[in-house]
Amino acid sequence: MDMYNNGGPEVSIRSLKKDSMKFVLTNTDLSVANALRRIMIAEVPTMAIDMVEIETNSTVLTDEFIAHRLGMIPLTSFDVDRIQYTRDCTCSHYCPNCSVELHLHVKVTVDYEEMNDPNVDKTRQVTSMDLISVDDSVRPVSDDKLHPILIVKMRPGQELKLKCVAKKGVAKEHAKWSPVYGVAFEYDPYNKLRHSHYWIEEDEKLEWGVSANAAEETPVDPNEPFDYNAKPEKFYIELETSGCMKPEDVVLRAMTIMQDKLGGLQIKLDDEFKEDTQRWGY
Amino acid sequence: MPPIAKFNTLERERTFQNPSDKSFQTPALQEMVAPHIEAFNALMEFGVGKKTGLLDLALQDIGSKSVFDKKDGGLGNKLSFWVDELTLSKPTLSDKERNSTTRQIYPTEARERLNSYKGKLQAKLAWRVNDGPVVVETRDLGQVPIMIRSNRCNLEGAYPKELIKHHEESEEFGGYFLVNGIEKLIRLLIVPRRNHVIALIRSSFTNRGPTYSSYGTAIRCTRPDQTSQTNTVHYLTDGGSMLRFAWRKQEYLVPTMLILKALIDTSDKEIFDSVMLGDLQNTFLTDRVELMLRSFKTYNLHTRKQCLAYLGEKFRVVMNFPEDFTDVEVGEGILNKIVLVHLKNNRDKFNLLIFMIRKVYALVAGECSPDNPDSPQHQEVLLGGHLYGSIIKEKIEDWLNGIKAQITQDVRRKVAGVDFLNNQYFTKTLLKTSGLQDIGQKMSYFLATGNLVSNTGLDLQQATGYTIVAEKLNFYRFLAHFRCIHRGSFFAELKTTTVRKLLPEAWGFLCPVHTPDGSPCGLLNHLSHTCKVITQPADVSRLPNILASLGVSQTLVPARGQKTVVVQLDGRIVGYCSSDEAKKVADALRHYKVSGAHQGAIPLDVELGYVPVSHGGQYPGLYIFSTPARMMRPVRYLANGKTDMVGSFEQVYMEIACMDDEIRPGESTHQELAPTSMLSIIANLTPFSDFNQSPRNMYQCQMGKQAMGTPATALKYRTDNKMYRLQTGQTPIVRPALHNTYGMDGFPNGMNAVVAVISYTGYDMEDAMILNKSSHERGFGYGTIYKSEIVDLGDLRIRGEAVLHHFGMGLDAPRSWREKLDKDGLPCIGVTLKEGDPICAYIDDTTGKTMIKKYKGMEDGIVDEVRLLGSDNGDSELQKIHIKLRITRSPIIGDKFSSRHGQKGVCSQKWPSVDMPFSESGIQPDVIINPHAFPSRMTIGMFVESLAGKSGALHGIAQDATPFTYNETFTAADYFGDQLKAAGYNYHGNEPMYSGITGEEFKVDIYLGVVYYQRLRHMVSDKYQVRTTGPVHNLTMQPVKGRKRAGGIRFGEMERDSLLAHGVSYLLQDRLMNCSDYSICNICTKCGSITSPISTHAVSSLSNVREIECRACQTSTGIDQVAIPYVFRYLATELMSMGIKVTLKTQP
Repeated sequence: MDMYNNGGPEVSIRSLKKDSMKFVLTNTDLSVANALRRIMIAEVPTMAIDMVEIETNSTVLTDEFIAHRLGMIPLTSFDVDRIQYTRDCTCSHYCPNCSVELHLHVKVTVDYEEMNDPNVDKTRQVTSMDLISVDDSVRPVSDDKLHPILIVKMRPGQELKLKCVAKKGVAKEHAKWSPVYGVAFEYDPYNKLRHSHYWIEEDEKLEWGVSANAAEETPVDPNEPFDYNAKPEKFYIELETSGCMKPEDVVLRAMTIMQDKLGGLQIKLDDEFKEDTQRWGY
Repeated sequence: MPPIAKFNTLERERTFQNPSDKSFQTPALQEMVAPHIEAFNALMEFGVGKKTGLLDLALQDIGSKSVFDKKDGGLGNKLSFWVDELTLSKPTLSDKERNSTTRQIYPTEARERLNSYKGKLQAKLAWRVNDGPVVVETRDLGQVPIMIRSNRCNLEGAYPKELIKHHEESEEFGGYFLVNGIEKLIRLLIVPRRNHVIALIRSSFTNRGPTYSSYGTAIRCTRPDQTSQTNTVHYLTDGGSMLRFAWRKQEYLVPTMLILKALIDTSDKEIFDSVMLGDLQNTFLTDRVELMLRSFKTYNLHTRKQCLAYLGEKFRVVMNFPEDFTDVEVGEGILNKIVLVHLKNNRDKFNLLIFMIRKVYALVAGECSPDNPDSPQHQEVLLGGHLYGSIIKEKIEDWLNGIKAQITQDVRRKVAGVDFLNNQYFTKTLLKTSGLQDIGQKMSYFLATGNLVSNTGLDLQQATGYTIVAEKLNFYRFLAHFRCIHRGSFFAELKTTTVRKLLPEAWGFLCPVHTPDGSPCGLLNHLSHTCKVITQPADVSRLPNILASLGVSQTLVPARGQKTVVVQLDGRIVGYCSSDEAKKVADALRHYKVSGAHQGAIPLDVELGYVPVSHGGQYPGLYIFSTPARMMRPVRYLANGKTDMVGSFEQVYMEIACMDDEIRPGESTHQELAPTSMLSIIANLTPFSDFNQSPRNMYQCQMGKQAMGTPATALKYRTDNKMYRLQTGQTPIVRPALHNTYGMDGFPNGMNAVVAVISYTGYDMEDAMILNKSSHERGFGYGTIYKSEIVDLGDLRIRGEAVLHHFGMGLDAPRSWREKLDKDGLPCIGVTLKEGDPICAYIDDTTGKTMIKKYKGMEDGIVDEVRLLGSDNGDSELQKIHIKLRITRSPIIGDKFSSRHGQKGVCSQKWPSVDMPFSESGIQPDVIINPHAFPSRMTIGMFVESLAGKSGALHGIAQDATPFTYNETFTAADYFGDQLKAAGYNYHGNEPMYSGITGEEFKVDIYLGVVYYQRLRHMVSDKYQVRTTGPVHNLTMQPVKGRKRAGGIRFGEMERDSLLAHGVSYLLQDRLMNCSDYSICNICTKCGSITSPISTHAVSSLSNVREIECRACQTSTGIDQVAIPYVFRYLATELMSMGIKVTLKTQP
């Protein structure tokens, strides 16, 4: 097979931005490409707020609702490897080794004149910028200081005081730990493999647009016979991160995780074979 | 191009932050409840100039009552008394309250304190003895519930800024009452059209007696105070006719001739001529009129006086008039109070009665058809305010009659102290009848129960079901309550379905879509959104002159060759003209009306019902209506492009085109303002409903009202028993025009979901739907339930005793209580309560111990608010608290969802997002539904919504989904298809998708789009029922029923049948015996009885084992044990008690 001759899968990066990345994966099987996709979505660990201790909440939103909103805020997770999973940690509850504390305390006070001035907007927007982290490497994602993430709107007299505990986790457990917002995935834009059958009313050209990825491939030659042995070869993957880590890191980590998994599997299988050999002599 | 829909997000936010004090953001909502509020306002302000109210008119109608003290043998002194004036004041604090500076009470207080919003009703009771001086005393008639935002409400005329200040919704529209903290509403009811004679053929008429035929004409006459009286003319087979009426629920029949002759001084010739109307060739008519006149000769009554005296003599007892009335006066009284009460003038009554007779003859002769009382043409609306006024009127009359009865009794029993000349006697009598005086309490009872306690029956067909709770389940449901209109509970029991039929006459007035399916189908309708109910009489004082100028003659002029038809104004005959002329008159009036000619002498609300001459059709004439309670709707008058109001009577004979291409030149006079005018508000909110199969739109009307949404914005100030709230509601991308008109964005009812139509993993079979687990984790469909718990320590108190229970926590309280409760004995805000946790603590003075009330709910609740409810005067100790609990309801498997197209489904699985299929751009659906949900249901609207939602989301625009926007030449599929194509997507909304599990592209492309989904209030958490063992019924030993009691689910007869059919006897035995009431029982094999074995002496003194012996056989040798169902033992014992022996044959 070709892929082994060429020395394994290849990645060619088509574009790389701060929070998104496009690349083409070649020389590998569909299952590997999909595994990579699945791992990027669900198994790359990140940091997210997992526990909220609310001391005061006189806002219009309920405790559990604010806690949920806090959980959804992406936290920078460049250093996530440094932090342990709480379940693996030696501490009893949580500790700096397995968690990061974030604090939020906002109380809206307005003086009397301001209060009665209809032109003054008295609404205080509590945003992710108000979350103060004890660890600078784990803090709410905020490159764009103009558009932080809104948590709750408050009016004079209201107060919100709480402590958040961010933990390491994977999106398998809860979507908030997902490092990516979306992973686009495509192969065979011209449908040469005939995996799919496109519904057409009258004219395919008019009804179906051509995917942007089609530029990378040669159009179908109507005279070319159908190759029923062909397999998908090029996988066009695009991912957009939540900002918690660099997109290339997401891909690299995903690959490492896949490697680890396969490695683990291999070791287990080897052990089995060894046992079998010892027991049965073959 | 379809109209442009807009989100108006910024504008809404601006008005939310700075509410206006001059105008409403959505005035349509205020208009929607107008029938309710205006009808209530009419109690105080009614008619031209609005100087008098319905209550004043009612007092005039009641008049004065008189009693005599029978002194010196004769009648003696005459004491007359009457109510001079009624005043209903706005709700204020009682005078006993001393702490407050503002005395007004606002609805929020009643709502939060679970009280009623009531105003004081006072009457000026006046009395005089003989012709002496009039004594006036103001009497308190109790506190009467006041309609919110009516002219007796402190929120009257308030705009958003003030409403918010008083803790109301910013767009609060009122129209309901507050009774014990519950929002109650008097439902609109359909009643026969007033002041219009309808012809009836009813076989039940023949049951009235011999010679009675099934023919009759009936008229529901309405007095100025909006109470009504129905008169029916029966045709007798001998040619005569009888007038039937009901008085105090009793029916009476009087010869029509007697009434005619009593009304005015008339002659047989006059009667003959007026019935014949010059149609002397009609021998059918002449014969009958002759018979009628002749048959009356037997009464030997010739003059009007004689007739009145005859009537008076017969009805003296029934009518309860003052004793000094002569027979003639009583007779006149009957004519005033009962006969054609909408007319004042006896000549008018005479004319109309003649008309009724003529119409019934025409019906018998087959010249005209019977009128359909089920058709909206002959119907109007019983408005809540009018009914409310009628009840107050009746209660006042009851009170006066009660006083009269009390005095009469005193006089008859010769009680000491009866002295009319002494004012104290009268005031003492008033005290004795104080039970009848508390009208406020009676009105509260009426609103709280919907039961009408009435001596007269108020000319209505039902005694119950007048009020409904205006549930704030979500905004759709709340709105619908104000627009619903019921046919009457009498019709609900009818076996025939004719009353439920959707008639073409209902077009534009009643929504054809918005009616529930099931038992109230077709009886509970909803007003179309443009339909208005007139609440004030139109000023038609100048109309008769205009009619005369148009050639309507006041007296009858027999027309040659042409039929003469009648012209009636509100049931009064104003003239006659030929049928051709009538058409011209009607057309001219129509033009005057719409163009405002003659200085607006004909208001828009006047209905010009021209019925043309036909062979065997409806009885012809020109019937003009100006009275309130009619349904009217706006349409465009083609002649001048202005808006005309059209009523349900006249509409039948009008040519109203719907769409532009339906206008027929020379025939069409009007055109609909919009084709959606015929739909109710809720039905209008179904997007693209014109694409759906009609029953699906009906289902959506039901389900929209069951959705978990946003019930209110002032949630903090509400104390509803149960409230559902969707935490993550969104504004729909796809919305019909009315969505913004009615401000639906203030109350989101669902969320936009990415929906894939695909059969995936099989978990979407049979209307189940798959949710994306990640969507769920990000908050999709997250809901909350608010529940109220009320603790009233006053319930523990014995009446008259001092307050012995105080909220608080003593030192004896265990630590576990202190985790949930504060020192004051009240629960801490934010604390989670589990079943059995203390909800509040109080100290009992008699024992000195701290006691608690326990939380009984099965689910965990979080304390959201604690409200301390004081007494009315604020001078007594706290005894009552209201705790609002919050129960979180994140969507789980088994919860019900639906799109807005009657496509409901139950969540069957929450797949992790990696396992969900995804599109090339990485979009994963929130919801997966099965393609099989579509072919049989034909909800194409949902497909179109999906397309529109997808393109709207891609382009960031709102999409208009008003029905009847698209047609065959301008199709929705193309319009949205082009938008999708422009965004780089497939024209038809399909997308190639990949399996999340293998990453392989699916064989076919998948229909993927954005559909607005509603989460319905039916959740498994409220419904699941499971039991292994548990409580049993103590008589039968079988498991009890009911979810609340941890009971079992019945394995019934049909289930048994199916097991029998399968022949699975072990399973059968398991269900019916082992798992039910298995019992081991002693049996005597000798006599086969299971009742006779009894235990006798103990086997030994060391053990409890006793010998069993058969009482019948006197031995223990044959005793054996068998396993039988316990109920069988019960049956055997029951039979034994009746002397029946049950014998079982046993085999080893």
